[in-house]
Amino acid sequence: MKTLNEGQLNELQQDLDQIRDQVLADLGERDARYIRKVVRLHRSLEVGGRVMMPFGFIPPVFLAATTALGLSKIIENMEIGHNVMHGQYDWMNDPSLNSQTYEWDNACGGDSWRRTHNYEHHTYTNIIGKDRDYGYDLLRLSDDTPWRPAHLFQFLNYVLLSTFFQWGVGLHELELDRLRHREVTLKEKAPFLKDFFRKGGRQAFKDYVFFPLVTAPVAPVVLAGNISANLMRNLWSSSVIFCGHFTQDAEIFTEEECEGEGKGHWYLRQMTGSSNFTGSRWVHLLSGHLSYQVEHHIFPDLPAHRYPEISEQVQAVCKKYGIHYNTGSFASQYGTVLKRIIGYSLPDRLRTRLLPEFSAAAT
Amino acid sequence: MLAQFQASTALHWLGRQLFNRNDPAAFFDPLLERIDPLLAQQTIRARVLSVTPETADTKTFVLEPASRWQGFRAGQHIALTLDINGVRRTRTFSLSSTPAQCQKNGTVSVTVKRIKGGLVTGWMHDCLSVGDTVSVSEAFGDFEIPPVAEPALYIVGGSGITPVLSHLETMAADGFHAPVTLLYYVRTRQDVIASERLSALAGQWPALTLTIYTTDESGHSQRLSDQQLDQVPGLDARRCYLCGPEGLMDLASGLLNQRNIPEDRIHCTRFSAPTVELDSDDLGGQVQFAKSGQQAESLGDASLLDIAEASGLSPKHGCRMGICHQCSCRKTSGTVVNRLTGKTSGNGEETIQLCISVPAGTVSIDL
Repeated sequence: MKTLNEGQLNELQQDLDQIRDQVLADLGERDARYIRKVVRLHRSLEVGGRVMMPFGFIPPVFLAATTALGLSKIIENMEIGHNVMHGQYDWMNDPSLNSQTYEWDNACGGDSWRRTHNYEHHTYTNIIGKDRDYGYDLLRLSDDTPWRPAHLFQFLNYVLLSTFFQWGVGLHELELDRLRHREVTLKEKAPFLKDFFRKGGRQAFKDYVFFPLVTAPVAPVVLAGNISANLMRNLWSSSVIFCGHFTQDAEIFTEEECEGEGKGHWYLRQMTGSSNFTGSRWVHLLSGHLSYQVEHHIFPDLPAHRYPEISEQVQAVCKKYGIHYNTGSFASQYGTVLKRIIGYSLPDRLRTRLLPEFSAAAT
Repeated sequence: MLAQFQASTALHWLGRQLFNRNDPAAFFDPLLERIDPLLAQQTIRARVLSVTPETADTKTFVLEPASRWQGFRAGQHIALTLDINGVRRTRTFSLSSTPAQCQKNGTVSVTVKRIKGGLVTGWMHDCLSVGDTVSVSEAFGDFEIPPVAEPALYIVGGSGITPVLSHLETMAADGFHAPVTLLYYVRTRQDVIASERLSALAGQWPALTLTIYTTDESGHSQRLSDQQLDQVPGLDARRCYLCGPEGLMDLASGLLNQRNIPEDRIHCTRFSAPTVELDSDDLGGQVQFAKSGQQAESLGDASLLDIAEASGLSPKHGCRMGICHQCSCRKTSGTVVNRLTGKTSGNGEETIQLCISVPAGTVSIDL
């Protein structure tokens, strides 16, 4: 990991705090108008998709309806839900956009997400053993986990995780791994499971029971469309999220390194542990601006549409301290993610030979 | 009836499942309000029909609330909610119009004095114009007209006249025949709010005796005094109504108490200007945790999260450094300073992060 001395860390903190303060001081009408516009777009897409879906027996309509519903779920989860739950719009004092009460169109309950994502992942980002988002207890993405033959199949696991991503995220807090090792008991997880079944059930009921049933004669078409829309969201959001922390140059940390760290060190870890990708305005919107993962991780509660505006300032700070600002096209970043998943599924010796960039010396 | 109720609870349940919110009807608001803002379901919206200046610093806004608004009784208030530079802010105002007017044409009025440096009243004066919409609460408050026709005395200061206008016009229209005296205290003649309505009332309604006192007119100060009260005939038998600034209310209730007017015949509606924003130095104060009924004293050295925990509460929290918003919580009143930005919050209801908020004066938290 890139190291800075105490003085540099303090200065880094001041530099970044200054960017943050600038944005905070400028929050207002423009931000409110932006998020309300996105919410309106979401409502239009969802209503449009649901209304068109029963006519999906006409192939082009099926395509349009599924795309509209898929996009609506993507926008609601990424640009609205994720960001609202981070508290990015709490300052607006609008109960519909409140971080603590917002509930998104996803099998994962909002409360569980706030605990596992906002708190665990954003506080302990990329600390092996503390950030359970690093591989989701399912994938071996660094050599901190000793290789086992079962890892040979992890690409299949990855495909399954991406396909059923909302359910994976929903069950994340169950901590299957710790359950298996008896570090927690099922009884302790009972309240979580209750919430999970309520929220997951609600989502399944809506997309797979209610809407197909009310359009009974064309139920299979509606069911197929709803499954496709959920699949679309699952694949896209998992890809975006994987590009955020598992690219080739995204660093990992040990608990010892981070013990008693100050805000400056936390900033440094967020910058070196995250990675961006480039794209058009729409790519950024659909990724909930997680394409600016670096900016998001240093300022998780600033309205995300501000990230592109402060990116240059953040890059200048990176340059000042010799911190690598990790970015690239979506294809190239995603390529290194796939390489990481495949590389670490192989025995270490084979990996270092085939993919030297993921050898111990390189990371 | 029962069937209807069950259908609506069933519908509400279904809405919650489909739209993931406890107010499912509001899901469509972003689309509906494009058609007509008054269709929105999250809050009751009201359209501004007219804005009329009353004095140099007072304006009357005539509002037309959506039809599901339930109306009001004379003397009641509403909470107005407005978006000012992206931030939703709520303030309480008395209705200065009559219920009769509301029944006739569905409109209500609020008469708003611009508070010096006041964010909301200032914005209303400068920016709120005809055609805009605001949100209104249902009416509340128990500053009601005399239940039976008995002699009444109104002691009113400044913009405290607003609910009293509603009282007097309602009573006049109902043919209230017992004597009513209004002592109205204003700084100068120019500060008389709704002077035309008042003189019209005094002209048409023989029961009313109206006296206007100026407290700040060219060296001649006519503050409320015992002598002025002596001139009110049959004062002891009157039901008394006080409405105005704190100072006047305190003075009036003191004088009335001396005259042994029973407490239950003195009706007050207290309203005071929001306290001026504090310097970050003025930290500390009483902390009230409303849900649990706990109280604590803050010296200004600890965050509200620490204070809550020291009081034996265990609020949800995470990073303790202002990142994760796990500890975000409703502040119902009072001012806090954000330890990270040094910024002082507003004094109304809003969401704050407990772990980085330090009380500045008395604060009430929904915990």
